Amino acid sequence: MIKEWGVPVDKQVGNLKSWTTNVAARSALSAMAFCYSNFDRFKKYLHSDQGWINFSAGIKTENNSVAQTIVFENGKARVKSGVADDVTIQLVFVDEDSLKEMASLPPNEIMNMVLKNRLITRGSMAYLQLFNLLISVLMKDKQIKQMRKQKMDLRGSASIEKAEDTFSPRPQKEFLKAIDVDPGVKYLTDDPYLSKYSIKDFPRLVGFINIHFNQKPAICTERASILTNWFKENGFENKNDHQPWRPELRQGYGYKHLMENRQPIIRKDDLIAGTTTTKEIGIPLYPDTHATLIWSELLTVSERALNPYDISPEEVWELNHRVFPFWLDRNVREWVRKQYKYPLCQQLDERFAVNFLWKTVALSHTIIDYPKLLRLGAAGIIEEIKAELLADKEADQQKKDTLQAMILCYEGIIAYARNLSRQALLEAQLETDPQRKAELERLSAICQRVPEHPCTTLDEAVNAIWIHWVAVHMESTNAGYSLGRMDQWLQPYFAADIEKMGSSDEIEAYIKHAIELIGCFYMRCTDHLPMTPDIGNYLFGGSSSDQAITLGGITPQGDDAVNDMTYIFLKVTELLAIRDPNVNARFNNSKNSVTYLKRLCEVNVNTAGTPSIHNDEMVMLSLAEFNYPPEHLRDWAATGCVEPTISGRHIGHTNCMMFNMVAALEMALFNGRHPLMHWDLGPKTGEPQDFANFEEFFHAFCTQLAFIGSLSCEYNNQLGEAHSVIRPTPMMSAMVDGCIKSGRDATKGGALYNSSGNACIGLADITDSMMAIKKLVYEDKRFTLKEVCNALENNFSGYELMRSLILKSVPLFGSGSQEAIDMANRITDFVHSHFGSQKNFRGGPYTTGFWSMSNHVAFGTLTGALPSGRLAGKPFTPGLTPEAHASKSLLENIKDVAKLNPANMNNNIAFNVKVVPSAHDSHEQVVNNLYSYAKAYCDLGGMQMQFNVVSSQTMRAAMANPDDYRDLLVRISGYNAYFVTLNRDLQMELIERAEYGL
Amino acid sequence: MILELKANSLDDGPGIRTVVFFKGCPLSCLWCHNPESKRTEAEISFAANDCIDCGTCREICHQQALSKINPFYIDRSKCNLCFDCIDSCPSQALTRVGKTMSTDEITDLVLKDKPFYDVSGGGVTLSGGEPTMFADYCGELLRKIKSHNISTLVETCGQFKFETFERLILPYTDIIYYDLKIFPTDLHRKYCGANNEQILENFTRLQKLSLTGRFSIKPRTPLIPGITDTENNLKLIADFLKQLGVNRIQLMQFNPLWYEKEQKLGLTTQTVFKNQRWQDREKMACCENIFKEREIEV
Repeated sequence: MIKEWGVPVDKQVGNLKSWTTNVAARSALSAMAFCYSNFDRFKKYLHSDQGWINFSAGIKTENNSVAQTIVFENGKARVKSGVADDVTIQLVFVDEDSLKEMASLPPNEIMNMVLKNRLITRGSMAYLQLFNLLISVLMKDKQIKQMRKQKMDLRGSASIEKAEDTFSPRPQKEFLKAIDVDPGVKYLTDDPYLSKYSIKDFPRLVGFINIHFNQKPAICTERASILTNWFKENGFENKNDHQPWRPELRQGYGYKHLMENRQPIIRKDDLIAGTTTTKEIGIPLYPDTHATLIWSELLTVSERALNPYDISPEEVWELNHRVFPFWLDRNVREWVRKQYKYPLCQQLDERFAVNFLWKTVALSHTIIDYPKLLRLGAAGIIEEIKAELLADKEADQQKKDTLQAMILCYEGIIAYARNLSRQALLEAQLETDPQRKAELERLSAICQRVPEHPCTTLDEAVNAIWIHWVAVHMESTNAGYSLGRMDQWLQPYFAADIEKMGSSDEIEAYIKHAIELIGCFYMRCTDHLPMTPDIGNYLFGGSSSDQAITLGGITPQGDDAVNDMTYIFLKVTELLAIRDPNVNARFNNSKNSVTYLKRLCEVNVNTAGTPSIHNDEMVMLSLAEFNYPPEHLRDWAATGCVEPTISGRHIGHTNCMMFNMVAALEMALFNGRHPLMHWDLGPKTGEPQDFANFEEFFHAFCTQLAFIGSLSCEYNNQLGEAHSVIRPTPMMSAMVDGCIKSGRDATKGGALYNSSGNACIGLADITDSMMAIKKLVYEDKRFTLKEVCNALENNFSGYELMRSLILKSVPLFGSGSQEAIDMANRITDFVHSHFGSQKNFRGGPYTTGFWSMSNHVAFGTLTGALPSGRLAGKPFTPGLTPEAHASKSLLENIKDVAKLNPANMNNNIAFNVKVVPSAHDSHEQVVNNLYSYAKAYCDLGGMQMQFNVVSSQTMRAAMANPDDYRDLLVRISGYNAYFVTLNRDLQMELIERAEYGL
Repeated sequence: MILELKANSLDDGPGIRTVVFFKGCPLSCLWCHNPESKRTEAEISFAANDCIDCGTCREICHQQALSKINPFYIDRSKCNLCFDCIDSCPSQALTRVGKTMSTDEITDLVLKDKPFYDVSGGGVTLSGGEPTMFADYCGELLRKIKSHNISTLVETCGQFKFETFERLILPYTDIIYYDLKIFPTDLHRKYCGANNEQILENFTRLQKLSLTGRFSIKPRTPLIPGITDTENNLKLIADFLKQLGVNRIQLMQFNPLWYEKEQKLGLTTQTVFKNQRWQDREKMACCENIFKEREIEV
């Protein structure tokens, strides 16, 4: 009917709407331009200490119905119609409504529009953040009001939803005594479990825990300011004599200056000297990588709902005026944009739906050679470097410069320790409490000796490691740097201390001191948090910096490595029950004892879910392809989350990227098009009706996965190169075997072993989807693939029968179906071989992992419905954990995961097992049950597992969001049930019981 | 007739166990927590929550027994148990309760979890219903399971012919969980549908045999409000045990989790227990004390 009238009515209305939006956009930008041209109080935000910041921002809709540009130039702003190709940044909105919304949104929300793919940004991320700040300057009051309202709205539901994240000290009333003593345990022979100690015995630690849970973190500008000033004075690209800097040398000089001039701080009551920031809990900034991402939020970050940070007006000014402008183009992301002309792989990363490159944040995720530090001291390391310089007569200039840079770094560390020593003495002189005075004097003496010289006592060793840990964080971003096998490395000092003692009372007091000292070390590790722009809160759920400690396993010689310090670390882990450091335990099924594994399970019960348990032999088997010498291989330790690194010899950047495998599945279903991004991105692998059989479809999936996988590696390699230019790490390089000898920085591949590791997300979802397609489309021919695609596009609305059949009749991963396991292995095999064939910038291979941090949620929100029956926007399963509805028996899950081929998973896995202790069970029974699951899983060849001992809080959350907790298994007397399948009253009964029963 | 196999059970004996539920029971306790295990014939169960109302089953049913008007969907007076609807149901809201399985089939299935039995000291538990009703079958199954070095446990109500039990089942049984529900026989008849003389007699004989150490036996009493948890009943049971020299018993807390099961089967006979809640801790302690006073471990 309408067609007869020519232009459809809705089109006419549409045109009118476009026209008004375009006018409105122009007026809004003109008002903005007016403000920034005429008022000093606004204009100052465009002025850095090096002059005016000039750039242009184009605002448009995808169909060009709106197109306006604002140009900032020499303290003036003006608006132009149209958007030219050479604007600094473009904000492309999918439609006019999205554009209108942006005008009133706080800066954090603008980035979330990017996540939801309603807004696409092109061009410099740093300038985009500045532009968003300029909006925030004008709209600040309104934005803050909105954020407060948001926070209030969230509170009601979020306090339930986020219940798991908030601290609830679990009543740790019960501690088991050890039934046996491991051969490596020499001094805790009475009871290696140390069951007689509870947190009440350590008031110092209780004080620190309270700070940890009550102190709001604050942005710390110290590192950024000192370094920025030094680079301004001494040049970044070129030296003052106009010769180009050797980047390593530039970083070395800058680093030494930073370490000499930063504040030496000793935290009140602490047994360990030094801090990573000047704040109680600080957010150190790394503008050379990603710190400019917080630029837009400077005025509002203290008000945001998730992970707010304190920041003073002076600090805002410092960052906005002096620091961030200097780094606008001098960060790894912008270096790639310029050097590689904004490549496709970068464009893909900045849409967030397919991957997230941690390389934009850091080149970290490694474990440096701490034993060398303890053995030689910083002075000894300098000697080692000098000796190499002398010995290598043919050293090229790069080697000379690199080694020189290393020496500068260690001189800086020594200077910092001496400053700490002086500070401790100063404070001791002012201290009136005699006990604290003695502690401070002791600290002063310790910092006088270490880390400069070799360590002789446990106190020295712990302080040396901490000071060096601070040093690591002054050089490069706090993301996944890990501590390694601390129980192994500290045991000799613990033993040496005790050997000097006489009476058993003295020894007992010393053991208590050792627990307290390690407790202090854990709490020191919480003194900093990674800088998370709000978009990161959604992507990573407010993760900490994942400082992994690894316990147990076997020694480089192949013997049982469990020792006294292993149990001291476990006791501290249990007493503090905090998320960082992230404690990982190696369990070697041939060498480690039942006593040890039971203790790991008990600590899991008492902390609700740490440490994670690694089957040592399987992890080593997964690394077999690299042919590491056995004594190196046996020294592996978990890095960041779970990933194996060869301690002290290996730059494995084990979380260089989070990779959404499900995107490849969607692209295979829609002929290369990514549905949510509306982007014809991948190769044309065929329309649904083109696939004659399952094999052809699977092949299309592989083609798409290879395509986006290769793009991800390409970007990672470009970023790797950027790191070697923008921020080489000579200090760290000196502590990784191979760099001194090769004379090459770690960022350039100087280490003995090099690799890059990824986290491939969505294995269970893909396996189940493949099983559904194979079975229902190609075997039973119940539906055509086209029909399945239609169902997906409609989120199964109108296709309930299909979804029901999928959920109930397809054999899923975790159901005990060998076919599903074969499918999962086939997928991991392809993913592993594809990534394994890629080379990184440092010349090493890519390793493949199947774990997810919390990206299974974020990527899930950016993914449509799946053939597995999963609805659009819902989270994927965490790590490679099977779907809850795959089987009624947890044992099927455990057995299936254990059957995955470790050879395909050389960057490890994450397998979550949720356990709800029954009200009837004694503590010992609960521990024994966990032990049985863990032991059988290891016996069956499983690689890694982590428990989640579920609380009543979680059950409440499950009542509020049943869909997200489908896998919540609760034990009721006599049988297990899925919590969400029970009716409301029964749920309440169970919650009551859990609350009163435990 | 097998009702189902339940893996990863932590409450039906030591360690991690697989429970084989038999269908059919000589008693008919008013509070039966597994109402689906009473009858020896297969039945149809309907879970309203799972139904997507696609209508497939209604088209297939030859008896017009399915309708949303029926209080429990299935008109059991019309249904002739052809089970055609079950095969057609995409959401598995309609399911078959009870199937015949060979002892080899079951043995193969339980063997898959052997690694878990081994590390936890668990094994296989026969429960029901009443497994001893199928003594030949039971004996064969237990023998096969035992031959794989897996620990076995039989849960029984005690209503069986002793000689048959001793000959077929006992040789392959490591642990017996034995229900002593109600001591006065008239009350037992009233609430459980049968006298209890045989039950008490069998227990006495098994208890004596267990002294050889070849197997162990543990009496259990479910605490049903107002029926089994009365002071009088518990005292009588306790005295009986003391006299036999038995020094431990398991008391099972009442739980209200089985009403839904009834509805799925279209049963409504047990409304007397509606609105009952979990037994509270005080009451539990009271009951426990009766035994503790007689030096019987609970």
